[in-house]
Amino acid sequence: MVPVARIRGTMGMDELLQEFISETQETLEALAGEVVAWEADPSDRDRLDAIFRFFHTVKGSCGFLNLPRFERLSHAAEDVLSDIRAGKRVADPATVSAVLGLMDRIGELAEAVAMGAALPNENDEFLISALTTPSEATLTVEVEHNNAAAPVAVARQGGQSGPRTIRLPLSLIDQLMNGVSDMVLARNELSRKLRERSVDTELDTVFERLSTCVADMRDVISKTRMQRVDRLFAAIPRMVRDLGRDLGKRIDLTLEGGDVEMDREMVEMVVDPLTHIVRNSIDHGIETPEKRRAAGKPEVGALRLEARQSGNQIVIVISDDGAGIDTARLVEKAIAAGRLTPEAAARMSEAERLELIFQAGLSTANQVTAISGRGVGMDVVRANVERIGGLIALDNHPGRGLCITLRVPLTLTIIPGLIIRAGGLHFAIPRAAVVEILHDNNDTLQISEVGGAKIATIRGLRHSMIDLEDVLGMDKPVEAGPRAIMVVRSATGVPFAMGVSAVDNHEELVIRPASPLVMASGVYAGMTLPDNGKPMLLLDAAGIANAARLPTMIDDRVARQSDQEASAQTGVEMVAALRFEECSGERRLLQLSLIERVEDIDASLFGRSGGNAFVRLDGRLVPVANGLTDFGRAKISALRLRDGSVEACYPVAAVLDIVQMPLVPDMVAMHGHVSGVAVIDGEHLEVINPFALFASLPDGGIVERARGRCLLADSDDGWTRDILAPLLRQAGQDVVMGLPDDAAVDPRDVLLLTSADAAQTAGVMAGMIGCRIVHLRASPRAAGPQDSSIYRYDQDALMAAIAGGQMAGGVG
Amino acid sequence: MERLYLFATLAGTRIAVETGEVEAVVRLTDVSPVPGMGAHIAGLSALRSRVLTIIDVAALIHGVASPRVERGLAIIADISGHSYGLMVDGVTDICRVPEGELPLCGQIGPAWAPYARAIVEHDGHPWLLVSLAAFIEGGALAQAA
Repeated sequence: MVPVARIRGTMGMDELLQEFISETQETLEALAGEVVAWEADPSDRDRLDAIFRFFHTVKGSCGFLNLPRFERLSHAAEDVLSDIRAGKRVADPATVSAVLGLMDRIGELAEAVAMGAALPNENDEFLISALTTPSEATLTVEVEHNNAAAPVAVARQGGQSGPRTIRLPLSLIDQLMNGVSDMVLARNELSRKLRERSVDTELDTVFERLSTCVADMRDVISKTRMQRVDRLFAAIPRMVRDLGRDLGKRIDLTLEGGDVEMDREMVEMVVDPLTHIVRNSIDHGIETPEKRRAAGKPEVGALRLEARQSGNQIVIVISDDGAGIDTARLVEKAIAAGRLTPEAAARMSEAERLELIFQAGLSTANQVTAISGRGVGMDVVRANVERIGGLIALDNHPGRGLCITLRVPLTLTIIPGLIIRAGGLHFAIPRAAVVEILHDNNDTLQISEVGGAKIATIRGLRHSMIDLEDVLGMDKPVEAGPRAIMVVRSATGVPFAMGVSAVDNHEELVIRPASPLVMASGVYAGMTLPDNGKPMLLLDAAGIANAARLPTMIDDRVARQSDQEASAQTGVEMVAALRFEECSGERRLLQLSLIERVEDIDASLFGRSGGNAFVRLDGRLVPVANGLTDFGRAKISALRLRDGSVEACYPVAAVLDIVQMPLVPDMVAMHGHVSGVAVIDGEHLEVINPFALFASLPDGGIVERARGRCLLADSDDGWTRDILAPLLRQAGQDVVMGLPDDAAVDPRDVLLLTSADAAQTAGVMAGMIGCRIVHLRASPRAAGPQDSSIYRYDQDALMAAIAGGQMAGGVG
Repeated sequence: MERLYLFATLAGTRIAVETGEVEAVVRLTDVSPVPGMGAHIAGLSALRSRVLTIIDVAALIHGVASPRVERGLAIIADISGHSYGLMVDGVTDICRVPEGELPLCGQIGPAWAPYARAIVEHDGHPWLLVSLAAFIEGGALAQAA
């Protein structure tokens, strides 16, 4: 749109012409959607009238302004439209195309006039004849089109008439903005001065009121920059219609949320990415009617654009019910392009594969079409969206559709930002670009240097690391205190670590464009003027990554992951271990996961049988791992160990604490039960080798029987859950709540039933499950001589019944 | 052709600027440096609520940054929508010159050649008529890129 001065007393010819041009351009923009809607419903008289009025106005004005080409074009269109109005002609797709063609030509001419360029000398006759003579050719085309592509139906929410508006030159609004900014600065200075001087509450109150007014004013003025999203959507129906027809696809377009407002500059910035996404969706997403029919989908594809405000963001959702993204093809392409090794591809998750769509030069399109797939792909879309502080997210359903969500800030001019300090200067960085901030003395962070490259490893994840001072060619002043390391996500999607002196503050920043001279450096995205009056530059994360020439390899992430796995095996990985004191006095470590519990056991329970030490626990004999049976005191602490099936007891003098030890000891020295030595807090500790420990246990001789399993039928019962289950577990039984779904019931299992459901189910279950059943009753007394159930607090009988069942089952 | 000119000294040379190009002349107070840029970009400075990009014109011409202490006056100009401050050594006068622009005489130094348009006679001396936009668009941007 050309900013024009309209508030003038008299107008010269030039100004009239200007006025005509900008009005024409505006109307054209608004009408493009109307024409498409009219095509969908030719009986819509209002729309037809609106279009007719447009041509009529153009014809009238250009006669006066002496623009013969405009006049001829609009005259021809007006004639045809008036025929349609009179019912002498129908608005078939060919006619609509011809009308659209004329509108396009008028738009081109208007642009040429606005720029003062020579009018493009093209053949208007052709366009006009296409309109006036529905020739054989157009008729056949029409028939084809009727088969191939129905007009795009446009559903729009909200009325056609917007609120009353006036047109103002942009410069006036900018002046207003600047005026208000000056006011804010003056207010801030006044505030400082007031604070230095007296404490006058009356003055303070007045000043407060002034402050509120200024703040309100600032808000209102920033609203003048707002524009309805409608403008963003204006060109979409036309584009969808034209593309649909070219490609022989039928599309049902839904636009929603056109009344949401966003910054006019932001609208400009979003137009291109949005257009690209819609093109992609029609070209690659939505299939042809034949394919859709074959896939069992409705022939008409659905494309939906929706805008809504969410906090200080505008969310634009573009969803279609097309084919979605074929990630397997993406991977193939990436491998073919040498971007990815097949091994790396095999390790990628689905989300990572989908991310490939954002790699430059990768497209799922089989061939380059005129519509999209010209190498300018989603990478550019993402870069454009991120440049304005936005985000793009994909929700892919292969075969069923794709949903792309754009999130952009409400306004370009105010963004949440972090104020950072580097080289003695302050900089701002959009908060959206910062993933996390750590101090360089953080334990989870490790910075290493190799061949001039810095690598920051954060929780096992490696990042390229740069210092902002180095990138910007500044001196790094020696400062007290730790430096801050920020993990920054650049547009290419590979996060990197950036070192700065400190992160000072978090503020809503009013961003203004920096001069082209400053922008040319590539590392700045704009500037801001904070209240202290010292201009500050806004850093561009992607620009910095570029300037530092950081690698942006796809394989990097995968490589990092396998590195992590490797490091887990080579000993950086730590495991929890119990530090304890042996009865002989040495301190040792044992992996914590092997220890079931620690308990004090009567020394009298320990004994020896056939050279093997054992301890009697819960009526069972458990081997003693270190072979000790004599302790010289009544109670001994013991570690109860379990390797999954085998149980062991390990008496110790004292349990000390739980520490982190390397998974592989610092010094490996296999010897007896000891696998090596680990250094914990400067103390050398022997690490027990669990393998040797369990291997040395006597095989089966002492273990009276394998661990039994009890099935508790009614797991919902409180008593069963809270009293019976713990008892059984202590007795060394595996407890299963409820009946196992997979019916994997061992004949040695014992099914326990409480009396409530016993009567109904017992008989069925015994046959069905094929294991022994123990009935428990709540009453101490048996109901009759037939009652084989056991009183539920009769522990001995219960244990005997379970043991009996397990023995019997084992034999049978 | 009687035009109003601003006469100033810049990098030791007498220059004249058409006043149509000049918005104001201010004394620079606080210039925040822009790291990572060439010497010809002295930094940013706030003029009320506007942010000026300060150009060290002497550095543009001779390639050596002016020492910070000598930063004094700057000519403020609005060039293609952005505000710039062009540092000068001093400002002498603003006056009309009846003769107007005279064609360049003599061999002009290569450093000055891209910016000089003509000669303006004033006060018995020749002054080099320069275009501020040329400093930004011709010189600074080319060096920045």
